[in-house]
Amino acid sequence: MEPSEFDELAFFRAIDASGARALLIGRRALVLLGLPVLTADYDFWIAIDDIALFNVAAAGQGLLPTHEPEAARQRGRYVLENDEHVDVLVARSIPTLGGQQVEFEALWSRRKPLALGDGVSINLPSLDDLILTKQVAGRPGDLDDIRLLRALREREPGA
Amino acid sequence: MTDPAADAIAALVHRRVSVEEVRAALEDDLTSGEREHVEVLVRWFTRRYPTGAERLAYVRRAYRRWTAQRPDLPR
Repeated sequence: MEPSEFDELAFFRAIDASGARALLIGRRALVLLGLPVLTADYDFWIAIDDIALFNVAAAGQGLLPTHEPEAARQRGRYVLENDEHVDVLVARSIPTLGGQQVEFEALWSRRKPLALGDGVSINLPSLDDLILTKQVAGRPGDLDDIRLLRALREREPGA
Repeated sequence: MTDPAADAIAALVHRRVSVEEVRAALEDDLTSGEREHVEVLVRWFTRRYPTGAERLAYVRRAYRRWTAQRPDLPR
């Protein structure tokens, strides 16, 4: 099977233009902040009411949702995929391993827009909030990412 | 057939960490080596790739190079 012609900047441009409240989380957020870490997929946390908007933006790159919006809302997450893989979190809040509730609306209110170039920007959580999102899945790699983000925070206080 | 070494590595990579491990990652002092490592990495990466789009594109290329050596990983 031929791989799809994924245009990454066009993907982010479509999200930017869609009006969907979408935060880029996961390792690609670290990359944008200046940390060259490897990752296979994209991770977003979006507003629970903006699934349809987000899916339309992704459809331009041939990405198809694994679940209808209502099912995605009930599950709290879904995937957009072709030969790219986009994990989409749609929960209103998620607990950290330590039991702290992390709420999308709070993260959205503290978001940090970041220019990608060519007039496109994407919203990231603040550094502190990105560290919070790294306390949810409980993967060993998240521990490394937390320490990288702490070092970045010391380097750029207030980011 | 499974490869025991690969299975052992996968078990390590996919295990669920404990609350104590998360707390240590959050609270233990960073070493001077960690700080220096991040300083050098960020300075190189952001100078070499000043825009977000360039950084993302670099990681896509780097991931492709890496997976070219590892057919078991997602492309």
